Amino acid sequence: MTAIPNVAVSAVHATPRPLVWAQRGLVAAALVLMLFHFGVYVHYALNLAAFPFDYDQGEGFELNDTLHYARGEWPYRDNDVYPFYASNYPPLYHIVLSPIARIVGPAYWYGRLLSFLSTLIAAAAIAFAVYRDGRVRSVAILAGLAFLASNYVYHIGPLFRQHVNMVMLETVAVVVLATLTPGKGSRPRLILGLILLLAAGYTKQLAVATVAAVFIWLFLRSMKRAVLWAIAFAAATGIIFLAINAATDGQWLLNTVTANVNQYILGQFVGLLRQFVGLHGAILIMAIALVVYELYLDRLSLYSVWFVASMANSVLSGKWGAGDSYFITAIGAACLLAGIFTARCMARAWRLPPDFSVRVAALLGRLRLNMLIGGFAQRLTPLIGALCAALFVLYGLAVVKMPLDGPIFGPLGRALNLTSNTKFLHFYDSAGWTMGYSTIGQVPSAEDYANGWRIVAAVKDDPRPLLSEEAAFSFNAGKPVITNPTQLLNLYNNNTLDPAALIAMIEEQAFGAVIFRARFYPPPVLEAVDRAYAVEQVIPMNGYEYTIMKPREGYTKP
Amino acid sequence: MIRREHGDFVMTKRLLGALFTLVGGGGAAGLLLLDGIRGGRADFGPTQAFALLVCSGLVVLGLTLLPLGDRPA
Repeated sequence: MTAIPNVAVSAVHATPRPLVWAQRGLVAAALVLMLFHFGVYVHYALNLAAFPFDYDQGEGFELNDTLHYARGEWPYRDNDVYPFYASNYPPLYHIVLSPIARIVGPAYWYGRLLSFLSTLIAAAAIAFAVYRDGRVRSVAILAGLAFLASNYVYHIGPLFRQHVNMVMLETVAVVVLATLTPGKGSRPRLILGLILLLAAGYTKQLAVATVAAVFIWLFLRSMKRAVLWAIAFAAATGIIFLAINAATDGQWLLNTVTANVNQYILGQFVGLLRQFVGLHGAILIMAIALVVYELYLDRLSLYSVWFVASMANSVLSGKWGAGDSYFITAIGAACLLAGIFTARCMARAWRLPPDFSVRVAALLGRLRLNMLIGGFAQRLTPLIGALCAALFVLYGLAVVKMPLDGPIFGPLGRALNLTSNTKFLHFYDSAGWTMGYSTIGQVPSAEDYANGWRIVAAVKDDPRPLLSEEAAFSFNAGKPVITNPTQLLNLYNNNTLDPAALIAMIEEQAFGAVIFRARFYPPPVLEAVDRAYAVEQVIPMNGYEYTIMKPREGYTKP
Repeated sequence: MIRREHGDFVMTKRLLGALFTLVGGGGAAGLLLLDGIRGGRADFGPTQAFALLVCSGLVVLGLTLLPLGDRPA
């Protein structure tokens, strides 16, 4: 299709001043809200970086994976033998961090700061793509900040987890590839985009949806080339996969594929989807409007295909162990589309297919409504632009989350009449809670720090190793990390784990202490612990109860 | 159904619509067939109902694209 300027658009019709001021006022209001959210995010990220314990369960095991790479070892190991540990994630994020780990040793700050930086890069890529399309700077900034304002991005962004690193790589890949046109000079950009996609996939498996989106989009536009490039991409992916699998004696396949086959809970997905729509509905309206426009009146852009693919992929958030983070790619795509939609309205830059424009003009002529043609461009398009800015304001109001203490947020929270609706005394989160939504987001308190060190003090003097559900206590007590509990549970549920050796060690009381947070071990392991160990104390930290168990006196192995 | 651009084949709106209709229809038929083989409608669960809804939506979407002809998708 050769797009021509909308016949309704005429340069002689300037946008009425009241509409211009309405747009500017609403964009300014939305920017103020987004900058507030950005301030809250930076405050949270910087405070969290220094916290020396697991804030979200699993962070410590990702740090342990990083330390494996720093020592030149694979973290894909046999879970049946001591230390009963393996990673279930691809390696890239941990490999990137491993040189720092080699110098600094076990610490959480560098992984958290890399994740935080990844979200900033993803937001910058979204803003760049919106600006490239519509040249409306304020809306481009708004779209980038809208990504960071999401409750989901907020609390997962600054964690020692590889997820947002994957989102950053796939976002940059999409932005690099989206303006690709077949012909001379396109190959270097295509190769760069595909390398970024490969990197995203080897950061976390979930990037498969973005890979699919890119090849579907390429197939729509250039079928033969898409097939050839897909074969090359699959070959590169497969060679790396087989090489790692061979280097780890098959543990890579077992731990990154088999161990990720979990029970599916439809209620969890439905709850998260409701929450997602409730929080991001305003952005989604604009994103869906642009997808529908492209589907019926223009060519589908990579952004639209990416949005649809990432929304489809969010169905996986219903897996046991999955959660709200599975929507973050869709949030990025939605912010990008919403920004483009808004910018085109404000710049009156819509293009309609020639035949459609002619048909609409003829229809309006027959109905003696020719005056609407000029009016559409002059008033309706900028009016929709103003409504879009209003939707950004609504979004900004929907995603409020903030601490309720401290010299700035304390008085602000009181002025806004906000009270805690979470299990934390000083944290408000408009998202509420649903199954699968991480109950985090608060800044760790001085008591959390003190209690973390109390747990370490309670277990570090015993010379025996520690069986801890979180790795931080092992790091801080100078002990080796034993077991990755959810990994053991997943493998056990898939009939690919023999916990006999671990149970034997528990029954021999070979561990100086056991620390539970959620008891996410296979049932026979939990039963063995309950037989051989007794609860000594329970210490709260970050809203969770940590149960410290010590060898039961007088216990004899059955 | 298929256009040529820059020396390669390009998907049209009509072909995309046909694909959506085919995939959605095939998916829905497969779901119902599988459920029938497994023991009938009595145990048609919420996940199956959700999948059937998605497949039906795909069919409707596909049918609306068919009249758009050979414009590139």
